[in-house]
Amino acid sequence: MAKEKPSLNTVNFTAAQLMEFDACTRCGECVKYCPTYDARDKNQDIEPRDKIQRWKEFMNKCFGLKARLFGPEKIPPEEIKKFTDDLYNCTTCGMCGTVCPAGINTIELWESTRANLVKYGTGPYGKQSLFPKLIEEGHNPYLKQQKDRLAWMTPDIKIAEKSDIAYFIGCTAGYNQQVLGVSTARILNKLNVPFMALGEEEWCCGSALIRTGQQHINDTPKKAAIHNVEALKARGAKRVIFACAGCFRAAKIDWPRAYGKALPFEAIHMSQFLAEQLDAGKIKWEKSLNKTVTYHDPCHLGRHVGVFEEPRKVIKSMPGIKLVEMKRNRKEQRCCGAGGGVKAGIPDLALGVATGRMKDAKETGAEALISTCPFCRRNLIDGRDELKLDMNVDDLVVMTANLMGLSTDVKPPAPGAPKESISDLFRTQTIPPKPPAPPAEPKAAAPATPAPAASAPKAATAPVAKAEASKAPAAKAEAPKASAKEAAKAPAANKK
Amino acid sequence: MATEGLTILGKTVFDTLFIDWRIMAITAIISIILFIVGMYIQLDKWGRGIPEGATKPYGAFGALSMIIGSIFSKGIGHALEVLILDVAFQRRTYRRRKLEWLMHILIFWGWIGLLILTIVAAAAEFYGPFALGAGPEFFIGMWKSLELPNNIFGWMLVIGIAIAIVRRLFSKAKDVQARNADVDWILIIGLLIVVVTGFYAQDIRIAAGVQRDLISNYEATAPGFFDNITVMFHEVFTLLFCVAYLPFSKYFHMITAPLTILVNHGGE
Repeated sequence: MAKEKPSLNTVNFTAAQLMEFDACTRCGECVKYCPTYDARDKNQDIEPRDKIQRWKEFMNKCFGLKARLFGPEKIPPEEIKKFTDDLYNCTTCGMCGTVCPAGINTIELWESTRANLVKYGTGPYGKQSLFPKLIEEGHNPYLKQQKDRLAWMTPDIKIAEKSDIAYFIGCTAGYNQQVLGVSTARILNKLNVPFMALGEEEWCCGSALIRTGQQHINDTPKKAAIHNVEALKARGAKRVIFACAGCFRAAKIDWPRAYGKALPFEAIHMSQFLAEQLDAGKIKWEKSLNKTVTYHDPCHLGRHVGVFEEPRKVIKSMPGIKLVEMKRNRKEQRCCGAGGGVKAGIPDLALGVATGRMKDAKETGAEALISTCPFCRRNLIDGRDELKLDMNVDDLVVMTANLMGLSTDVKPPAPGAPKESISDLFRTQTIPPKPPAPPAEPKAAAPATPAPAASAPKAATAPVAKAEASKAPAAKAEAPKASAKEAAKAPAANKK
Repeated sequence: MATEGLTILGKTVFDTLFIDWRIMAITAIISIILFIVGMYIQLDKWGRGIPEGATKPYGAFGALSMIIGSIFSKGIGHALEVLILDVAFQRRTYRRRKLEWLMHILIFWGWIGLLILTIVAAAAEFYGPFALGAGPEFFIGMWKSLELPNNIFGWMLVIGIAIAIVRRLFSKAKDVQARNADVDWILIIGLLIVVVTGFYAQDIRIAAGVQRDLISNYEATAPGFFDNITVMFHEVFTLLFCVAYLPFSKYFHMITAPLTILVNHGGE
């Protein structure tokens, strides 16, 4: 009688990663810190430890001693599906790995397991399956046009055609958080730092695909990384500034892997650049702001890459600003809840984690929460609104621009523009309400959910993509939000 | 002087276990074989990994090679630093879990200490007659000098196990609440059996005045112990539980956790 085939395979794992599953001592240190476990009412299925133990059991059922002697033990598909869903209830923030006494590299472990399960067929989760199609065809996850990459530019901003310094804007700042784009550009202009931007040549950094285990689908993130690197190189970039922590993390860690060698330029986060300029005495504060602020370390900037002190250095140098730390800060910070595809895939979980972080901020008595990642900012604003807290949430770059005497105004926002497109701290602009929608016409029969990108035709034409885009839930990200709960129900296609 | 120890390969070997060396030898060989088989099965499992971009698995020895390569990828100095600070002294555990760190250190070093001393004693048994051509005096001297560190490591193990038992009985810590955490009792009770029978075996030896009689009356003293079931049980059980069973039990983390820390360069 032929032996049963193993229910699962070991694709996408390194030998060391398979060993890591056996290294977990079940001590539970990760459980104490896991933000999604907390947000899910301490559901044991969500524990990092439990997930490691379950996958270890799966592997032993397939390839352990008993499997070798008597053949692999069948794992019911519903058990694998349940595991997959639990696995995606994770922002890949990496806190579990930071506190793990065995030093397990959980971020990479979750990503490899996700990729394995995407190939198996149970991953990714919900609307995350739209990412490959959106990013491959449109080069951004927001269903926007490449020609609008620099649509946020105002007449006062000068961007060079070629320069050894580049500003990689990123999809979130470029399309949805124009305030970050204009603030970064105006700061660089004021500091007399000539810089260029790729504009239409800029492609999504690929982070959303890698975090959700979909990097292998048409090799989209690899192609995007190589494209971006080559485009930056061709334009003479020696230093590339990122104001988005997600893009920065991708450039520092994921791009070199895709590129196959060290990047031909230095990747630097805007907070690091500002700290440098501060040290060089080039930043002159022209305004003061008497506020107590707290700083949220984005996972992708802090734990993943190790930038903790530069943002604090800039904040502390600001006239009138008092920095107070949340109990959990630096390596031990609590995730904002948006990462790992959670904002798009499981919005209620993203909101739950965000409210947890905003409660941390509230405990400090701060009047504003400052971060260095547009995606954290977006989700924390949602968390703030959910809790109805009287606290501003903004980006370090926006605050820097304002205190340098620069305007943080964006082009007059369109009715119903995302609330995060303008400054939350310096409310010099308002977003006109979206006009009421015309009465709904009867819909033609259409699939309720777009087909998963993994199985979507590879070469769909642009008009098709656009037509599908209008049905995609991601488009709802643009809708004004009556409440954060509603916002959560209409998830943004996010890139974290 | 009647000092006719055990004759092995034409040499007289003296020891203080006083059990049938053939049983010890057979148990040890079986235990080591099972340990190696277990390790191979685990390595083979790890070697099935096919990372993104690879087309086939690396196999057991490929996995071993990759793991060793990763450990030293930042240089020998860095690997040694991690080995000392994070493996030997468990820095990562110390930072966050002081009581668990104490428990781990006591069990880990107690176990390692006893293992090392056992190896030293076993080596001395053979080194004396085979390398020095010495009589029982050499081994007896060595055995006596090892008694104090043996007691220290033994007590470390006992205290560590006591902490582990108390924690599991009374603590609300997260590790106690893990799914299937009850299996930990197998390991704790197993270690407890090793320690209790070990102390009991030593007590029997002391009570019988082994040290005093050994040199002058080895032949008369030793055979009496060959039939001691407690001593026999202790030695056989320890080999099977702590060596043969290791790759198949939760104690496997004694190997995988240090390796993981080394592969991930301290986890930083």
